[in-house]
Amino acid sequence: MSANEMFLVDDDLFFRVASDVLIKRGIPELDIVQFENGLEAYQALVERVENLESLPKLLFLDLNMPIMSGWEFLEELKGVSSTICEQIQIYIVSSSIAPEDVNLFETYDFVNGYISKPLNLQDLEKVNETLSLIGDV
Amino acid sequence: MKTIPSLSLKNSPIPIAIMQVGGQIVATSDALFSFFEYSSNQTITDITDLFGEVSEAFNKGIRTNEEFSEDIKVLSNTGELRWLKANVYPLSKKEKLFHISFYDFSQKIEYDLARQANNIAKVGSWTVDLVNNEVHWSSETRAIHELPAEYMPDLEKGINFYKEGESRECIIEAISECIASGKPFDLELIIITGKSNEKWVRAMGSAEQVNGKVLSLSGVFQDIDQAKRQRLNYEVLSDRLRVAINSANVGVWDFDLINKNLFWDEKMYDLYGISKSDFKGVYEAWESTIHPEDKERAGNEVDLAIKGEKKFDTEFRIVKKDGEIAFIHAEAEVFCNKEGKPYRLIGANTDVTRSKRRDQRLTQLLNVTEEQNQRLLDFTNIVSHNLRSNSSNISMLSGMLDADLPLEKQKQFIEMIRTSAERLDETIVQLNDVVKIQATSKYDMDRMPLRPMIEKVIESINGLVLETSPLLDIDIDDSIKVLGFKPFLNSVFLNLFTNAIKYREPSRQLKIEIRAKVLNDNTIISFTDNGIGINLEKNRSKIFGIYKTFHSNKDAKGVGLFITKNHMEAMGGKIEVQSTLGAGTTFNLCFNNSI
Repeated sequence: MSANEMFLVDDDLFFRVASDVLIKRGIPELDIVQFENGLEAYQALVERVENLESLPKLLFLDLNMPIMSGWEFLEELKGVSSTICEQIQIYIVSSSIAPEDVNLFETYDFVNGYISKPLNLQDLEKVNETLSLIGDV
Repeated sequence: MKTIPSLSLKNSPIPIAIMQVGGQIVATSDALFSFFEYSSNQTITDITDLFGEVSEAFNKGIRTNEEFSEDIKVLSNTGELRWLKANVYPLSKKEKLFHISFYDFSQKIEYDLARQANNIAKVGSWTVDLVNNEVHWSSETRAIHELPAEYMPDLEKGINFYKEGESRECIIEAISECIASGKPFDLELIIITGKSNEKWVRAMGSAEQVNGKVLSLSGVFQDIDQAKRQRLNYEVLSDRLRVAINSANVGVWDFDLINKNLFWDEKMYDLYGISKSDFKGVYEAWESTIHPEDKERAGNEVDLAIKGEKKFDTEFRIVKKDGEIAFIHAEAEVFCNKEGKPYRLIGANTDVTRSKRRDQRLTQLLNVTEEQNQRLLDFTNIVSHNLRSNSSNISMLSGMLDADLPLEKQKQFIEMIRTSAERLDETIVQLNDVVKIQATSKYDMDRMPLRPMIEKVIESINGLVLETSPLLDIDIDDSIKVLGFKPFLNSVFLNLFTNAIKYREPSRQLKIEIRAKVLNDNTIISFTDNGIGINLEKNRSKIFGIYKTFHSNKDAKGVGLFITKNHMEAMGGKIEVQSTLGAGTTFNLCFNNSI
């Protein structure tokens, strides 16, 4: 149904490089597309919304980013298309453990989870489980 | 059948008239003429000639044909009131003649009136006969002394009734002087009565002199105990009130609603900073001192108070003659008559300017504190971001440094771990700077010339300046100084310069303009660049927050302006920003030189 792709949205180059290696180990069947901020990722999604097949299965979203932060990205997404929200498994992956951030994420019902950095293989295994569940349906 | 005893009547020493029932006088005694101030060649023919219109009671007495007496008031030729008693008895029922004899009792009436008045006023009298050494007290004087009627006073006994101490000394001195020189006295003193009661009396005395020698003293003695005590009580109360009012700095006013008269006490004039002669004593004059913005509200509150709808308890500003603004707290009470109609408004004003200013200062401090708290909150949150993002990178990267990782990747990962560790260290150094700012005291500050300081900062970034060759337009008078802490000042300007260079618009030459002026106690410096600018609409609230960056610039670490703002505030100053996206940014620094 969707492309075998995942979006990795984070302004931190080091994190993207490290995650790239880690995700390839944890969820090897996904191709990773990297974005430096919310706006780039948002524009890519809007381009693909015409063709649902081309939407990614998974999206890892950082919160603190220049130009368009993770929250701003979620707000834009909320306003645009419920299809995108339903189609994609979205996880916030942030270094923030501030209660405001953790609480705020719960107000977006289309966000599947909050992963606190550093990302590890256990996190990816859990994500993979939900992905395969949906894949079975 | 009796003849009129004319001869004996005529010679009688008593004023007698014989009257017929209709009022005609048919015979008189000679004494009648002088009694009624007629001369002997005048004639008296009618009763009305004697005392004018006769009263109804007199006529009624005549009609009964019985003996009666009647008091009659007449005016003498000199205009004095005379009280006459007319004793009437019928001479012959058949002929209807009446015998009327008159008696003047004016003096007795006066005496009675005087006695009554004395009793009411509790006034007694006394005399001292110095020749025979006899003392006489009137009954009222005895009564005031609470002594029996048979009490026989002498001068020494009399004096000893005065309370020992001031009262007795006073009366001895006054009487001695009166005897010696005839000087009268009028004193308010305390006596101890025969029943051992303390009593305020008024003692008046004067001397009777013959050939310059005082023969006797006489005077009046009055019980003034009640009135005096009331007055003393009132004085004590009003003294207390006055002290209270003075110490509380309260002005009192009294507004007569009927005649529209406004009374102010001295303190009110002090509070409003005007002199008594400037003030017309009318409501409008009060109104004219009130701050224009508060006038309508204060006026309305007075109206509401008069109508009884709301208690008058308010605050307003007044503008004093010299333009100074003061805050007044005003309370008032409305007094109504029996019908519930208000007729008087009494109020108290206090100058609350000082406490008001203190409140404002506290609010200001509170705002600064809240702001600082907010920033500390940002600090802890975003610190976690910078620390955790670097530490989590190190953790992730090092966790994957295993045999499965290609050699090329391993090298890259190690390089990244090293960089992350450096950034971690850098972050910790910056955090240390922030902590240092909070710990700096205002007492370490100096007044420093502004221009040389800025020139030194430019020198210290010579490399950057040479690389970008900005146009520097610095116009600062050599006399301008700022009060600050040197390391902070350096840091503030260094940060502004590096920001301007970092966020320059690449398509045009960077221009930096610095101006400074002194305004009252402040030195105000404007720092303007023509760089890429900041979208303030979106970012105003977070521009000075820690780790907030607004540019895609890779160097942006977002800690600079946070530290700059903290440096400024630690020195008692302020920093503000104006910016237009694409056109440039101006930072205004305001230094307080009076701390």
